[in-house]
Amino acid sequence: MADLMPNPGTVAPLQTDAVIRVEKVCKAFYTPSRENLDALIDIELSIHGGEFITVVGPSGCGKSTLLRLIAGFSPCSSGRIMFQGEEVRGLNTKVGYVPQESKLFPWLTVEENVGFGLDSKQYSRADRERQVSQFVHLAGLAGFEKYYPAQLSGGMSKRASIVRALVYEPPVILMDEPFGPLDAQTRMVLQDELLKIWEKKRQTIIFVTHDLVEAVALADQVVVMTHRPGKIRDVLQVPMSRPRNIFEIHRQGGFDEAYGRLWNIFRHELSIGAH
Amino acid sequence: MSDPTIQAPSRPGRSKGAVRPTKHAVVSMGTMGVNLARVAIIGGFLLLWEIASGKWIEPFLVSSPSRIFLSLISGYRDGDLLQHTWVTFQEIAIGFPIGAISGIALGYAFGRSRLLAEIFEPIIIALNGIPRTALAPLFIVWLGIGLWSKVGVVFLLTFFLNFFNTYTGMRQMDQEYVDLAGLMGVKGWKLTFKVILPAISPYVFTGIRTSIPFAVIGAIVGEFVAATEGIGFFIRMSAGIFKTADVFVGIIVLMIMVIIIDRIAELIERRALRWQSQTEHIRIQA
Repeated sequence: MADLMPNPGTVAPLQTDAVIRVEKVCKAFYTPSRENLDALIDIELSIHGGEFITVVGPSGCGKSTLLRLIAGFSPCSSGRIMFQGEEVRGLNTKVGYVPQESKLFPWLTVEENVGFGLDSKQYSRADRERQVSQFVHLAGLAGFEKYYPAQLSGGMSKRASIVRALVYEPPVILMDEPFGPLDAQTRMVLQDELLKIWEKKRQTIIFVTHDLVEAVALADQVVVMTHRPGKIRDVLQVPMSRPRNIFEIHRQGGFDEAYGRLWNIFRHELSIGAH
Repeated sequence: MSDPTIQAPSRPGRSKGAVRPTKHAVVSMGTMGVNLARVAIIGGFLLLWEIASGKWIEPFLVSSPSRIFLSLISGYRDGDLLQHTWVTFQEIAIGFPIGAISGIALGYAFGRSRLLAEIFEPIIIALNGIPRTALAPLFIVWLGIGLWSKVGVVFLLTFFLNFFNTYTGMRQMDQEYVDLAGLMGVKGWKLTFKVILPAISPYVFTGIRTSIPFAVIGAIVGEFVAATEGIGFFIRMSAGIFKTADVFVGIIVLMIMVIIIDRIAELIERRALRWQSQTEHIRIQA
């Protein structure tokens, strides 16, 4: 289950070795009443370079917690996470992170936000400007460089937040329900843009969502998690060709079949969660 | 005893920058009217004062606007008043920044270190419970009747306000900003100055702005207790010999001082917090 096979019918992964290997990871939190609350139990997962992974599960299943562990925001209770062969201890500066809310730095302009991760030691001023300008354009934010986040719409903040994580080109991007609070149309536009960017850059993306259509439409593989305490229920291949047309994803070959399989798995989780 | 803060334009809590521009735009039609009303009220009050003085009330009790104005002019003409103003200004100019900066620094340190906060928080709260102006005589004993005892009182009055506001800001701060910045490789002084301080700056400025009148109170209280010069000394001395007009002159000078310092702080604040302004809201149509 956890051992993933190369996807038939899609672009071959750039690397064959796993970029991320989650090994027997458990995470427990202390509740205010001092009891242990198991968020994740025995998570085993390996993720290969250049893949687009989506993670779905009922709310509260620990999807976000898993991302936070990979980012190194908090330590695993047991088990370990290997990133490019090294164990993650402390902040994992090789990943980009797109939080649920945009979380742009409100005191910085759009271009300052986008350029925030470009270290002044690694990038010359000119390089930095070029990179920022390229990604601002990529995000469709040209003309809004000098705007502050408070002056942007939800969709624009979201784009800025995404390119802020992409701009310094980390090998892995973690996205925590980035399109959750957006309206359906904006969501589709952004999904489409995200796929276009990804097809150009081919970073590894781990994308948490609760939307099954989104999960299938974007992914090479869908990781399905169980109701709390979160375990991995299944890993589903999505053998749809790329590039994909998000706006007519239902008509694309393989979608219905993949969605049907996902729904079959997921249905059980919902009924467990409903009691 | 007159409290200089009462006359000062009181602005407890910063009005959110976001509201400012739109509010102004809406009000702009009525700005003339507002100003007229203001002038009328103040003018009317001064006129009433002028008439009442000597007619219904003893002039030596309340003086009168014209007498105060003349005293103000003559006071500055013989340089006396200027010297007093300069002395008080120095006390504030030294004590206020030191108090504000150390308050902000300690608030920041408490926010960074849970251990530090846990050990010292009750102590700080206990110290804050002391009526600080009551310590002014002690400062005179420790630091003499010159400049430094007043600097001490000014420091004491500004320090706590800045400390508490900054510390509150630190506790309210969104951890995710720090995490995200850390993920992008930002740490050390850059994390402090590019992420944490900007994030808590609205709180820091509230501390600075609210502590300005208290800095002036500190200087005056210190001068009341023991001094040979300064506006506080000038007020006390003038009251002692029933020169009521000069008492009012002193109060006016303090008022102007608070207003000027506050205006400067407001300008800096507006620049620093311009990101909070929300002049327009752009919507994207999908």
